[in-house]
Amino acid sequence: MSDTATEIGALRRIGEVVWEIPAEARTDMRVPARVFADRELLDEIAGDRSLEQLQNVATLPGICEAALAMPDVHQGYGFPVGGVAATEPPDGVVSPGGVGYDINCGVRLLALPLTAAELGGRTERLVHEISRRVPAGAGRGGSLEMAGAAFDRVLTAGSSALLAERGIGNGKDVERTESSGCLPGADPAAVSERARRRGADQLGTLGSGNHFLEIQRVAEILDVAAATAFGLRAGQVTALIHSGSRGFGHQVCTDHVRLMDAALSRHRISLPDRQLACAPLSSPEGRGYLAAMAAAANFAFANRATLAHRVRESIARTLGPRTARETDQVYDVAHNVAKLERHHGRMLCVHRKGATRAFPPGAAEIPDAYRTVGQPVFIPGSMGTSSFVLAGREGAMELSFGTTCHGAGRRMSRTSARRRITGAELRRRLEAQGIVVRCPSNRGLAEEAPFAYKEVERVVAIVERAGLAARVARLVPLGVVKG
Amino acid sequence: MAYRWVDHTAELELRLECGTQEAIFEDALQALADLLHDGTARDHVAFDVTLSATDRATLLAHWLDELVFRAETEDLVPEGIERLTLDERGLRARVRGHRGEPRHIVKGVTYHRLGLEETGDGRYRATVVLDV
Repeated sequence: MSDTATEIGALRRIGEVVWEIPAEARTDMRVPARVFADRELLDEIAGDRSLEQLQNVATLPGICEAALAMPDVHQGYGFPVGGVAATEPPDGVVSPGGVGYDINCGVRLLALPLTAAELGGRTERLVHEISRRVPAGAGRGGSLEMAGAAFDRVLTAGSSALLAERGIGNGKDVERTESSGCLPGADPAAVSERARRRGADQLGTLGSGNHFLEIQRVAEILDVAAATAFGLRAGQVTALIHSGSRGFGHQVCTDHVRLMDAALSRHRISLPDRQLACAPLSSPEGRGYLAAMAAAANFAFANRATLAHRVRESIARTLGPRTARETDQVYDVAHNVAKLERHHGRMLCVHRKGATRAFPPGAAEIPDAYRTVGQPVFIPGSMGTSSFVLAGREGAMELSFGTTCHGAGRRMSRTSARRRITGAELRRRLEAQGIVVRCPSNRGLAEEAPFAYKEVERVVAIVERAGLAARVARLVPLGVVKG
Repeated sequence: MAYRWVDHTAELELRLECGTQEAIFEDALQALADLLHDGTARDHVAFDVTLSATDRATLLAHWLDELVFRAETEDLVPEGIERLTLDERGLRARVRGHRGEPRHIVKGVTYHRLGLEETGDGRYRATVVLDV
């Protein structure tokens, strides 16, 4: 097939890097299924169930325009990971599976006031100190235990409650967080006792799987104006934190998938996949989920704020208190969430499942300091490879409900990754590249091997060509702490 | 063991095939036990689980979900079953295990491709996808 092909299977090309399966492809599809990709990525995407799952998403009641897949899309459960769907209230649905179990999983970037050259031989001490202070994997020692009314205030108000209750973070951190670190409408009463039990001692914990905390160097500045606005310069040291709402959010999803699954027939909703369980946004089930999901999202903002606090404590201990004080938060973005946003003149519920909001310059929702350059977006690569800082572009508002990709995207199962490399060998290879590794589980390390992911450069190039976001800086790892 | 993990790009897909429905539930516990196991075997305990659901496939998902919940909130690592009863009301089981440091790897037990059915030759086949 040539690069100028206009059709591949059921897909037809509708833009330079935009492909579409028309709504007529299946009798149950209400809108087309659209994929942002080039030929090579499409070949990978076609290798699993991503497109079938995207077509399933296109059957959701009240879905608008198209079900979308970002270039890092891969097979998930219900929604594909990298899927975006906007539904219109009051009859359009909200689907917990369109957000996922790790509600408001996301990424926070901190910029340190020194260069990698100035950090020099202290990298290992810094990474080691972070690994001591940040509970990872099943670890909970060092978590921030909160209960009762204080816990409820975190669920209701997110980052700012944590600042008020415990002095964690600062006002600038809160301002430089998506939705100012608080989704409105959170209701602690909508959260089950089981979710509270799972989350009670998990605030400030990294978790396992693909969650990590990375110390990095700014290897390349690609947009000087945006990088300057974000406080980034060549050679600078940064810290990237990837975690979510932990067991608290997992349980909120579990509870509400069950509730909606049980209510499907009452709402006369028929679905091709039970995990797409959903309910009208205006229904008691829909409103209940949005209230609980917002609480879990606020828990996740507070979790990353606590992790950032631990990083600053580690910096203070190894590099001095002044360096810690001058460590600024660049931004914090969610990549598993459903939010009510205005697009194309309508208020819509935008589900982002492994996809990042990417609002363009001028958007009222982004901090004043970034308003002229666009919202920061962070795209972590696989372990040992580059990560990217992007800025949202106008194309995202036109084509993807203000959304871009969220990562490199897996292309290989965890089992296959473990078959190809041992954790010990991967650890040796990363250390040979000069990367400090702290990971309690060799198995977990092997499962996240770089070759298990797509090339992040290719994924980022697609969103740039599509006009969804533009590259600002490339970051390379100096050290990694994994769960 | 009558279970296997099938390659899935991001998650874990569990397939089981057994002679009885009870064995499906028992082997599902074994699969999860292998996944959560912390390499220790100390502080042996036994605990009771009682569950109900509209159908057996949903009950299987709830069974695994309950074991994940106990592991994460009570540090209970399942090892096996002392007794298990399936009837029209649901499931009653006594699980043996130990208190340890189970891996917090499972985020959720999904309904995606969830199934438990007779194969036609008197055996049973089940599929469960876990979000990890």
